[in-house]
Amino acid sequence: MILVPITYKGGVYRHSEIIDLIEDLGGYIVQKHMIAQEVVLQCFVPKDDVELIRAIGKPLAGEVIDSPLVGTEIAVVSMSLEIHHLPHPSCDIAEYVRRLGAKSNMVGMARGVGKRIAGINDEERDVINEHDAAVYLMGNFEHCIEKKMPVILRGIEVPVVVCGGPDKDVLERIVEPRVDGYVGNVGRFMHRTKESEELTKLDEIIAEITRVLGKRREEIAKDPLSVAPARLMDVIKEKVPAIHEVTSPTPLTVQMAGLRVKLPYDTFADVLRKTEIEDGITIGDITDIEPSRMRDYIILRVRPFSETNTVI
Amino acid sequence: MQAIEYFEVECPEARGGENYRQIANDVLLDHNMLRVVQKIHVYIDPKVPIFVAVGTLKKITTVIKVGDIANVNPQEGKFTLSISDETYLAPMLKVFWDRFGKDHVDQPDRFTVILSGVSIGARELEEMPIIDPSEALYKDLVYALRCICPEGFRVRSENYGAEKFSFVASEDMLTDAGLALVKEKFALLGETP
Repeated sequence: MILVPITYKGGVYRHSEIIDLIEDLGGYIVQKHMIAQEVVLQCFVPKDDVELIRAIGKPLAGEVIDSPLVGTEIAVVSMSLEIHHLPHPSCDIAEYVRRLGAKSNMVGMARGVGKRIAGINDEERDVINEHDAAVYLMGNFEHCIEKKMPVILRGIEVPVVVCGGPDKDVLERIVEPRVDGYVGNVGRFMHRTKESEELTKLDEIIAEITRVLGKRREEIAKDPLSVAPARLMDVIKEKVPAIHEVTSPTPLTVQMAGLRVKLPYDTFADVLRKTEIEDGITIGDITDIEPSRMRDYIILRVRPFSETNTVI
Repeated sequence: MQAIEYFEVECPEARGGENYRQIANDVLLDHNMLRVVQKIHVYIDPKVPIFVAVGTLKKITTVIKVGDIANVNPQEGKFTLSISDETYLAPMLKVFWDRFGKDHVDQPDRFTVILSGVSIGARELEEMPIIDPSEALYKDLVYALRCICPEGFRVRSENYGAEKFSFVASEDMLTDAGLALVKEKFALLGETP
């Protein structure tokens, strides 16, 4: 069964029917937002049943949209958290990415600014590496980008999309080491993205992230995961009741090959390790349970089939 | 940018220069600086690296006095002030408190202040200085220039006064050559530093 990421938008009225339908079809709801009279469901559903959900949702004024970024966690890396970089463009991009279904986290670097003085520390590196992809928001000068990129990409293992003021081909030429995606003409600016050409640029960034994550999905497909992270999320919701006490908007954040569990590592790592998924197979058997560098959270990295010889 | 007589951003990197022109425009607009800046020339060279901004300001409003924001009505043993502009009400009250003491200053409603038992003439009260807006203005201007300037340029030299300003910033130590650019860029405006 191939699961595809979609977003369902509709009224509150009878929306529980849609939730039941998705669950009955074998899909997973990654995130549910209730905004006034509107419900937004970000979910994975079987590919063949998308049309069915669309048809059933129609009388309820529901709309089904393809959202390739659902189930991904993306780091938007800003060179600092000063007025120079916030709220535009960092927040504009982070918010746009979120609108398309991804969970975006903003990473503000302590010493990311400047040309000679730029640097990355181990905490920033580890936090970025916990995501599915990182979007680096650079400045306007190609000379500076060229000088600082080798330093601030040191130790980064996840796919990176670099956004910067120079044209895309210039970025491709100067960014060393090579990264997975480039978006030109998006440097530092001090106004809100409202004009249509600026919104087109945001769409371009999304397209680039989608392309980069698509490649990563293909890689994962070659050696499938032992369990789908969305399924793991459902298991934890069912068997670890403490997760319902967490007030964070996404107590369980689904990633492409893992899951961030917003419970303290010291108390809950063993509980999770021993939680059974199916047929005596526990979470600890098929995932690496590690402490996250983000607060005291837990990060689960699902092992591939080649390592565990199990798929559930 | 019609309000500014001269506005130039000079940069060896054409695309970077264009973007910085947009940034400078946005920042000056957001910080409400367009009404005070007369001429501005920005020079950025990321290779050195150096950022220079020089310019002149329009004639800045003079010191605000009590008579500018309130009508003073002398009455028997007291003065009643009707406030016409609330902008500087808070600093005015502070000046009164310091000079006369809180017991002698009363504000029965939003637009009225009563001074009782004070030994001052009506004329002298009207001429009493409250605040010099130009002091805050220069601070605002320097803050705006710090927003325009690339963030990594943390070694700064800021000079202002006599309706002129210069701002030099770099990532490294500021050299004489860097500071000499101020004179050079002022010459482009037809001014001397």
